[in-house]
Amino acid sequence: MSDLDKAISELRACKIIPEPQVREICHKARELLIEEANVVQVDAPVTICGDIHGQFHDLMELFRVGGDVPDTNYLFMGDFVDRGFYSLESFLLLLCLKVRYPDRITLIRGNHESRQITTVYGFYDECLRKYGSANVWRYCCEVFDYLALGALVLGTSSTLEPSFTDQSQATEAVDDDVEIEIMNSRNEITARFPRSRRRLFESDGLNSSPPGTPSKAGPPGTGATSDSGGSHLSGGAVLCVHGGLSPLIDSVDKIRLLDRKQEVPHEGAMCDLLWSDPDEIDTWGLSPRGAGFLFGPDIVKRFNHLNDLSLIARAHQLVMEGFKEMFDSSIVTVWSAPNYCYRCGNVAAILELGEDTSNGGVVSRSNGDPGRSSQAFSPNQALRSGPGRRYRVFEAAPQDPRGMPAKKPVADYFL
Amino acid sequence: MDEPAATSIPHSASNAPSLELLSRTQPHIFINPLKKIDEGQDVSTFLISKAYGDIMTFLLQLNRAMFPLYNQDVSTSGKKRVQTWDVDCQAIEYSETVRNLRHLLEELDQIIDEVPPDPGPRRFGNASFKKWYQTVEERTSGLLKSRLSKSTLQYPHDSDVTAESELSSYFLGSFGSSQRLDYGSGHELSFLAFLGCIWKLGGFTSSSEHPHPGNDERAIVLGLIVPYLTLIRRLILTYTLEPAGSHGVWGLDDHSFIPYIFGSAQYGPAISPSDQRPIEGSRPNAPDPADVAKISAVERQRHQNMYFGAIGFIHDVKKGPFWEHSPMLYDISGIRTGWGKINKGMIKMYNAEVLSKFPVVQHFPFGSLFSFDQDPNAKPPPTSIHAANQPVRDGFGSSSAEKVAAPRESPQLGTPAPWASRATSVPGVEAVTAAPRASRGPPIPGPSVGTAAPWARGRTAMINPGDGAAAPLARKGTPSSAAESETAAPWASSQPAAASAALSPTRFPQSGARPPPPPAGRPIPPEAAGDDAAAQSMPPPTRAPWTKPP
Repeated sequence: MSDLDKAISELRACKIIPEPQVREICHKARELLIEEANVVQVDAPVTICGDIHGQFHDLMELFRVGGDVPDTNYLFMGDFVDRGFYSLESFLLLLCLKVRYPDRITLIRGNHESRQITTVYGFYDECLRKYGSANVWRYCCEVFDYLALGALVLGTSSTLEPSFTDQSQATEAVDDDVEIEIMNSRNEITARFPRSRRRLFESDGLNSSPPGTPSKAGPPGTGATSDSGGSHLSGGAVLCVHGGLSPLIDSVDKIRLLDRKQEVPHEGAMCDLLWSDPDEIDTWGLSPRGAGFLFGPDIVKRFNHLNDLSLIARAHQLVMEGFKEMFDSSIVTVWSAPNYCYRCGNVAAILELGEDTSNGGVVSRSNGDPGRSSQAFSPNQALRSGPGRRYRVFEAAPQDPRGMPAKKPVADYFL
Repeated sequence: MDEPAATSIPHSASNAPSLELLSRTQPHIFINPLKKIDEGQDVSTFLISKAYGDIMTFLLQLNRAMFPLYNQDVSTSGKKRVQTWDVDCQAIEYSETVRNLRHLLEELDQIIDEVPPDPGPRRFGNASFKKWYQTVEERTSGLLKSRLSKSTLQYPHDSDVTAESELSSYFLGSFGSSQRLDYGSGHELSFLAFLGCIWKLGGFTSSSEHPHPGNDERAIVLGLIVPYLTLIRRLILTYTLEPAGSHGVWGLDDHSFIPYIFGSAQYGPAISPSDQRPIEGSRPNAPDPADVAKISAVERQRHQNMYFGAIGFIHDVKKGPFWEHSPMLYDISGIRTGWGKINKGMIKMYNAEVLSKFPVVQHFPFGSLFSFDQDPNAKPPPTSIHAANQPVRDGFGSSSAEKVAAPRESPQLGTPAPWASRATSVPGVEAVTAAPRASRGPPIPGPSVGTAAPWARGRTAMINPGDGAAAPLARKGTPSSAAESETAAPWASSQPAAASAALSPTRFPQSGARPPPPPAGRPIPPEAAGDDAAAQSMPPPTRAPWTKPP
C-alpha cells in the first residue's frame, strides 16, 4: 500500500495525517492543479456536488449515495472548508483522491477557499487546534490558489442512463423523454419530469435569437461556440462554477484569460465567479454579501445562448431541497451539506449527468423525434435543450457514536 | 450555603465603577445617532471613545451584580449567608421602569402572534420577519411613549432632537435585520446600549438608595435581558432567523454572547459589596462546567441560569454531538478553576470578539449618550493588533498570507486573542486602491444563508459589462455629492425605473428615489456615502468575517 493510499484510508476514517505528509500531498496537488486550465474540461458521465463545509460524515454519505471514487467521476464546486468541524479531513481527503485519481475527480474553487475567508469562518482555527500551528493551513491555502475557477462538462446525454445501482435490479431503461429524475438515498425514484414541459416552453415564443448572436462554428464553450455537442441526443455543455456570473465575463473564453493563481480578490471577474448569486431581478444587482453580484434570468439565458451552454451548475447557496433549478432550468444550485451547521434542517443533493454514448459510435439510438435534431442544430435556438439530470437527494449521516475527544487547551481568553 | 464570616462588611455601595448619570442641572443636547465606524481603522478610534468606555462600564457593572452576594444579615450561628441570583430569584425588586419595559417586551412578543410565519417556499429565513419588524418600527414611538416615563423620553433637551431619537435608534437595532433575516451579537449589543441610555437618563435608578446594592442592575439583567433573550429565541425559531455570517462550529454561539457572561457570574463565588470581581472559583452548589454537554443537567439548570439557558437553546436547535457542533463551549467546559475564571474569559472574549471587531461594531450608531468623542481618560487602545488587522477598504493580496498568522506569535498585552489576528487586511495596500471608488454602500442584506465578504461594507468599483448590451451598472450622483446623501445601492440596472422597482422593495429600500443613472456603458464608481439607513438597522455582526463572536 502506497503512502498515498494509506493517507486515503486514514482520512476516510476521519483521522488526520502527519504534517509532513500534508505538505507533500499539497505539493503534489499543486503540481497537478497548476497544469489545469481556469476552466477544466470534464467529460460526462460526472456527478456534480456543491458545498461541503467540513461536514465529513456527510461527505462519506455523499460517496455512499453517489458511488465511491474512482467508480464514479466527481466534480466538486468548492467550499470544502469552514464552518464544519472536519474541514481538514474533508479537504485533505478530496485532495488525496485528486492526486490519486486525477482524471476521476475535479475540484474547483469556492469563495471559502481563500486565506481571508478561512481566517474568519473557522478553517484557520481548526488547523491550529488540530495541529498546533498554522502550517497546515498555509499549505492548504497555497493549494487553494491553484484550484480551477470553473469546469465545462461536455458529452452529456439528453437522456438518463439507468442508475448505477439500477443494474442489479434490472430495472427497465429510463424513458428517453425523462429530463429530470429525483432519487432518494435508498436509490428509489421519488419524482420524474418529462421533457415535454420544455417543448411547451420552447414553443412559447422564446426561441427568437437576440440581435447580434454570433454564428457558431467551434466547440461549445469557446468563443467560436457552436452547437457541435455531437448527436441530437447531446445534452449540451454545462458550465460549473461556484457562485455565478460576472458582468465582466460574457464568454467562457474570458474566464480562460484570467490570472487565477492568487488569493481571491475583493472584486473583479474572479471574485464574481466565486461570489455571485442568481436572483429574480432584471440584469444585475448588488449582492447582499458585499462581494459578487446578483444576476437575473436574462443574463443567464443570454450567457448560455452565446456560449452554447445548456445549463449552468453552481453551488454557494443553501437550498432546503438540496437543489434548485431557476430561470427555466438554465441554471441550477446544487447544495451538498445536509442539515447545514447542524441546524438548518435541509437535505443535500448531487447532480448526475450521463454520457452521450451515441456520438462515440457505441450505440446509435433514436428517440423517434425527428424534429429534435434539426431543432438542436438551429442557430436560432435561444434555449438549448438541457442534459438529462438525475438528482440524488440525501440527508445527514446518522449520528452514530463518534467518540468524544479529549478537551483541548482552551482559548487564550480563558487561560 | 453558609461560609465563615468575614470581619466586617461595608454597607456602602461598592466603589466599583458604574455608568454615570446625566446631570439634570442643565438641558442636554441629544444627537440623532449616526454610524461613525466606516473602516477598520475607525475601530481603534472607537476603542478610545466615550461610548466604548460606557459600554464596558455598564457591562461590568451588570456583570458584577450577578455574582452571589454575602448577605449582610449575619445569622445567629455567626455565618454569613449567600444570596444567589437565579433567573427565578424572588429577591429582586423591579422598579416601575423595569415593570413597564417588561410589558413592552411582552407586546413585542404578541406581535409575533399577529404575524405568523409565511408558509410558502423559502430559502431559509422567513420573509414574515420583515412584517414583524415593520410592525415594531411603526409602533416604536407609541410603545416607547407608553412604557417609558416622560422624564426619560422628554429629558430636558436643548434642541429638536429628544432622548427618544437616541433611544429608538438602539431599540430598533436590537431585534435582528429585517433585510437579511438574521440576528447576531451586534443586535444584542444594541439592546445593551438601549438599556444603557435609559440608565444614563436616570430611568433605572431608584429615587432613594436601595438597601441592597446592585438591585437595579440585577433587575435589568434578570427582569429585562432574560425576557429579551426569550423573545429573541422565539423570533429565531419562528422566522428561522439565520445565524448571520455564521462561523459554524468555530464560534462560541450562533446568536448570543451576553448570557454566557451573566450566566457565568451567577455561578461565581460569593462576594461582598466591596470586593473585587472574582476571577476564579465558583459558588459551592454550582454545577460542574462539564455539565453543559449533559442534556439532563442542562434541563435542570436552564431555567435558573443564563449560561445554561443559552446552552439549552443550542441543544434545542442543533442536532449532533455537542463537542462537535460547539467545540469552543465544550473546551471551556473543561476549565477546572471555576465559573469565575469562565466569567473573566468571557469578558475578555467579548471585548475582543464583539467590541473590537469591525463587522460587529461598524453599524453601531453614535449619538450623545453613546458618543464617538474621545474619552479623555481612555488608555491607548489596548491592542494595536486589532487595529492593524481590521479590514481596510480594499485590497488583499496573497502576500498577506503571512501577516494573517503573524500577530499570533507576537507578544501582546492584555488579550492575546487568537482571533484578533485573524481579521485580515493588508496594511498599506489601501493606498493602492483608487480612492474615488471607495464606496460605502450599506451592506445590503438579503435573506441568504450565505457568507458575507469580510470586507463587505459596500461595493467598490464597478465594471464595464463588456458587450455594452445591458450596462448592468449605473449609479447616482457624483462622488462629491455622495458623502452627505443617503446611500443608494451604489449601482443598479440600466433600466432605472424597472430595476429600482424590482430591487428596492426587497433589498434596496433606500434606493428608490434615485436620480436617473448616467448613460449606460461606462460605469461610474460608486461614491462613498454616509449611510443612515443602514445605521438604523444594525446588520448582524456575524456576516463580517472578523466578526466572529458567537
